[in-house]
Amino acid sequence: MSINNKSPVDNSIRRPVFLNLFLIRLPIGGIVSIIHRVTGILLVLLTPATIYLLDRSLTSPEFFAQLKNQLDRWWVQLVVLGLIAVLAQHFFSGLRHLALDIDWGIERKQARMTSWLTLVGTTIVLGITGYLVR
Amino acid sequence: MRMRTNSSSHSGLGEWLFQRLSAVYLGVFSVFLFAKFLFWPVGDFAEWQAWFSLSWVRVIWLFAFASLLIHAWIGVRSVLLDYISSFSLRFIIALLFATGLLVSGLWVIDILYGRGA
Repeated sequence: MSINNKSPVDNSIRRPVFLNLFLIRLPIGGIVSIIHRVTGILLVLLTPATIYLLDRSLTSPEFFAQLKNQLDRWWVQLVVLGLIAVLAQHFFSGLRHLALDIDWGIERKQARMTSWLTLVGTTIVLGITGYLVR
Repeated sequence: MRMRTNSSSHSGLGEWLFQRLSAVYLGVFSVFLFAKFLFWPVGDFAEWQAWFSLSWVRVIWLFAFASLLIHAWIGVRSVLLDYISSFSLRFIIALLFATGLLVSGLWVIDILYGRGA
């Protein structure tokens, strides 16, 4: 293990500490936390594309119509579902982190259960969206 | 005078708080948007444009993107600090993200409040 196990307040640690995720075996809470980071980075990278779509859809009637027509294609629907999954997962794991901040669900049993619940929540949102774009 | 112990010049409490406040706004906004598209789907271009011509709609979108960019910056920064050990590489990537986010912000302001829209 290359990570430093000393107390976080110990000033003798050289900071910042760099984590190697391939050397750490994570419990479900840790996995959901990493998923939160991965989905977060994905969403940041997708932001310019989102702004582009907003821009064109508001300025060009042709573009708006095209965009709407594209939603009839199955693979476009699949992409939309993928994006919704990323957003929903980030939303639910973020909600979990906010709850943890106010000491809600910090017992190990609850913390594990809420980790699984974020995945359940994402599945439900996917179900609703899938039903809508179908 | 207190000596600096970290590479950052402050404790990070402000960032912690901004990350949470922007998260709460974005969370509420996302639920609102999901419900809007669920119960009042956008019909055509005219409807879409009319919705964005309402001043309260522009304001909530502006706040949403402002929160998004702040949230994104703090998030990206902490992720980079955790996994990228080379200072120069981290600096370059952070600079790219910062530039991208700033341009995105200006672009959104232009969409919502520029062009005499």
